[in-house]
Amino acid sequence: MANRTSRCALAFAVLLGGYACTAAEPAGTPPPDLPSTAKGDWPVYTADLHGTKYSPLDQIDADNFDDLEVAWSFKTDNLGNRPEYKLEGTPLAVNGVLYTTGGTRRAAIALDGRTGELIWMYSMHEGKRGGYAPRQLSGRGLSYWTDGRDDERVLYVTPGYRLVCLNAKTGEPIDTFGDHGAVDLKVGVVKGEGEQIDLETGEVGLHSAPTVVGDMIIVGSAMAEGFTVPTSNNSKGVVRAFDVRTGKMVWRFNTIPGPGKFGNDTWEDGSWARNGNTGVWTQITVDEDAGIVYLPVESPTSDFYGGARPGDNLFGESLVAVDLKTGERKWHFQFVHHPIWDHDMSSAPLIADVEIDGRMRKVVAVPSKQSFLYVFDRITGEPIWPIDETPMPQSEVPGEKTSPTQPIPTRPPAYARNYLKVPDDVIDFTPAMRAEGLEILKRYKTGPIYNPPVAGSVDGVLGAILVGNASGGTNWPGGGMDPETGIVYTQAANSFVSGASVTQPPEGFSDLQYLYGLKGQTFRLYHAAGTGQNPDAPEPPRFAGDQVQSEKPIPRLEVEGLPIVKPPYGLLAAIDLHEGALLWQVPHGDTPDVVRNHPALRGRNIPKTGQRGSVGLVVTKTLVVLGDPQVTTTDEHPRGGMLRAYDKQTGEQVGAVWMPAAQSGSPMTYLVDGKQYIVVAVSGGPYSGEYIAFTLPAGN
Amino acid sequence: MTKSILSGAAALATAVLLPMSAAAQAPSRSTWDGVYSAEQATRGGELYMGACAQCHGPQLGGIDAAPALTGGGFASNWNGVTLGDMVERIRISMPQNSPGSLSRQQVADVLAYMLRANGFPPGAKELPRQTAFLKQIAYQAYKSGG
Repeated sequence: MANRTSRCALAFAVLLGGYACTAAEPAGTPPPDLPSTAKGDWPVYTADLHGTKYSPLDQIDADNFDDLEVAWSFKTDNLGNRPEYKLEGTPLAVNGVLYTTGGTRRAAIALDGRTGELIWMYSMHEGKRGGYAPRQLSGRGLSYWTDGRDDERVLYVTPGYRLVCLNAKTGEPIDTFGDHGAVDLKVGVVKGEGEQIDLETGEVGLHSAPTVVGDMIIVGSAMAEGFTVPTSNNSKGVVRAFDVRTGKMVWRFNTIPGPGKFGNDTWEDGSWARNGNTGVWTQITVDEDAGIVYLPVESPTSDFYGGARPGDNLFGESLVAVDLKTGERKWHFQFVHHPIWDHDMSSAPLIADVEIDGRMRKVVAVPSKQSFLYVFDRITGEPIWPIDETPMPQSEVPGEKTSPTQPIPTRPPAYARNYLKVPDDVIDFTPAMRAEGLEILKRYKTGPIYNPPVAGSVDGVLGAILVGNASGGTNWPGGGMDPETGIVYTQAANSFVSGASVTQPPEGFSDLQYLYGLKGQTFRLYHAAGTGQNPDAPEPPRFAGDQVQSEKPIPRLEVEGLPIVKPPYGLLAAIDLHEGALLWQVPHGDTPDVVRNHPALRGRNIPKTGQRGSVGLVVTKTLVVLGDPQVTTTDEHPRGGMLRAYDKQTGEQVGAVWMPAAQSGSPMTYLVDGKQYIVVAVSGGPYSGEYIAFTLPAGN
Repeated sequence: MTKSILSGAAALATAVLLPMSAAAQAPSRSTWDGVYSAEQATRGGELYMGACAQCHGPQLGGIDAAPALTGGGFASNWNGVTLGDMVERIRISMPQNSPGSLSRQQVADVLAYMLRANGFPPGAKELPRQTAFLKQIAYQAYKSGG
C-alpha cells in the first residue's frame, strides 16, 4: 500500500434519537439490539439482505401521500471539489441517523434524520489512484455493522477501491481494521494468469454498497465501460469477504475460473488467461439461514465482441450461489451464453418464501436488463418454471462464435419490451410517423432478443436492433418485493432501442479485432458515467484515431424527435411469484415534454406514455414509491419530476409530490421520533445532487 | 493522500418543512429571439469538435452515457431552463475528461453552436459569457403555437 498520511480531525458525534426496544418482538424478528426495518430503520442498501427494499412502515399511505412536504434537503455540492450531477446514493438509517455517500470524492456522511444536519463527513483524497478510478462519483451508498452493543461501524468503498471502515458515531477510521481503517482492495486483483494489477492505475473499482452479513462484509468489483477496451486482458472480476472487525480476508470467489476450477473449460483455447471483467458491480444478496450468497455477475471483456474468448465464458452474465462461510460455488445459472449484448446482471437478487403449486418454495428472483424475472429454487438452483434453451441467430462478425441457443424463461412473461417487433412496436401516432420509422429501420438488422451485433458501416447496415441492453430493462436500481405477499415490483425502461455494431479499432488501439463502433465514423471511446469527474482525474490517454472529424449523418432511431417505438416508454410492473404471472403494468413518469409539445400531437388525447430511464423504488406496507426518471414542465407543475406512490395491488397511482429534478438514486424510508420520512436523491441537467426528505405536515 | 473528517458544524442542510419554490425571476427572452450570432456558432462548432465530439458525437447524437445534444430527449430534458443554467452545467462538469478547461467565452460559443444545431435562429448579437445575463434567456425547446 502506498505511503499515506492521515489527518484525522477530531469529529463530534451527535447520536440522536436512540430507539427504545420493545420486549414483545414477534418470533423471527432480529434480536432487539440490532437495527431492522421493523423498527423503522433502513440498515442495508436494499432495506434487508434479501434485496427487497421493503419497509413495513405505514404512516405515509394513499390517503396522505399528496400531503407530503419537504422536511429537509441536503446538497452534496461541497463534499467534493465541484457539484455532481449524478447523485445515485440511497442512505441507510439507524436510530434516526442517516449514513450515505456524496460528492465528487465519494465522501461518507452522517446526517440527523430529523433535520438533515451534518453530523460528520469523511473523505479520502486518493490522488492519481482516485483519478484513474473506473467507477467515479459518489457511489450508491455504504454499509452498517454493529455488534449490538456499543460498536457501530459504517463501511464503504472509495473510488480508488479501498474498503474503509469508520466509527459510525464519529466518522473516524477504525484503527484496528485493515491498515489504520482501510483495506487495499486492489491487492489481490489480477489480470492474465494471476498478475497483480497496478495499485495506482490498475482498473477496478465499485459503485455499489458492500454487503454486511453477520461479522463479515462482502465486496464485489467493477471495471471501466466495456464497449471500447484497449485489451481483452483486463482485470479479472472477484468477490471477497472480509472480517468486519479486522479487515482480514475470509474468502474470495474468482468469477473467471482458473485451471482445474469448475467452468474453466467454458473458456476455450485457454482464453480464461487472456480475458477479464466479469465483475459483480451491483448489490449482493444473502440468505443467512441457508448460508448462501447470491452473486449477479456482469459481462466478460468486451461488451459486444467476444472473439478473444470462444466458449460460454462462465461465470459471465450468471447468477452464482456461493457458500457464505467459504465462498465455494454451490450452483450457478448463466443467463446469456458467450455474452455479447451487455446484459450484465444488473439487479440485486430477491429472496422470498412463497407457495407455488401447493408447496412452499424458497426462491431467488432476478430482475434483468432483458426484462425477464428469472426465478429459481434458491437452494438447488433449479428453475421454478422451465427456462428453455432457444435457438438464436448467429453472428457473422469475423472471429465471433455465438452460442446456438440462449435460455428463455417460460414464466413469468417478460415484464417489459425486450426486442423490437416490426411493425407492431413501431411508432404509430400518425401514419407518416409509422412510415418514417419503418424506413429508418430498413437500415438496421432487426431480430429477437439476442440479435447479434453486426460489423456495421455508414454505407450499409447500421447495426443490430437491440432493446434493453446497455440502458434498458431493469438496470442498477433493481427491483423490490413485498416478502409478505410474494409480489415483485420493478421499473423498466421500455424504449431503449439501439443499433449494435462493431468495427475494427484504429491500428494499435486494442488487441481485440473488433470493438463497438461503426465503419466510416470516427472511432470513439465509451466512458462510464462520471469518468474524469474525480478531482484528481488525469487527462485520458489519446490515440491516433481520436480526433473527431465531420462525418456522414446517419438516421437516429427516433422519428421527429420522438422514440421510434410506441409508448409506454417506461413502466412499473408487478409480478406475482406464486403464479409466475404479471399482476399489472403501468406507465411510469409523465408524458415527456417532447411528446406533449409535438406540433403533430397537440390537442390529441395521448394516454400517459411513461418515461425512459432507470429508477429504483421503495415498497412500504401499502405503497410502491418511485420518482420520475425525467423532468417535465406541465400545466400542473413547474419543471421537475414527481415522486409517485402506487397502490400495490392495482398499480393505480394514489399520490404524487413534486421534486425539483429527476430521481437519480433509489428512495428509502425510515421512522424517527414517531414520524415516517422518505428520502430520495435527485439530480440531473442543471440541478446538482441533493438528498430530499419528505414527511407529513405537523399535525397530520 | 490525505483524509479529512469534518464535524457537524458545517451547515449544508437547509430548511424545515418549506415547500420548494421554482426559479425566482422569469427570463425576459427565449432561444427563439435570435440570441446568438452565426459567427459565434461557427466558432463554437470548432470548439465542439475538439472538446465535445469525442463523446457526444460530431452529429451531436451522443453515445451511451454521453447524451445526444439535439433531438427529442435533449429537448425534453432541458426545456424550461435558462441558458445560464446550461452554461453553468457545462462549465462545472464538462468536458468530462477535463472539467473547467473551457473559458466562459468558449462555453458560450459552444452553447451557440448547440442552439444552431437545435434549430434556433441566429441574430445580430452574440450570447454573453456572463451567467447572470444568460439567465435572462429561456431555453424554450418548443415554439409557442408552432
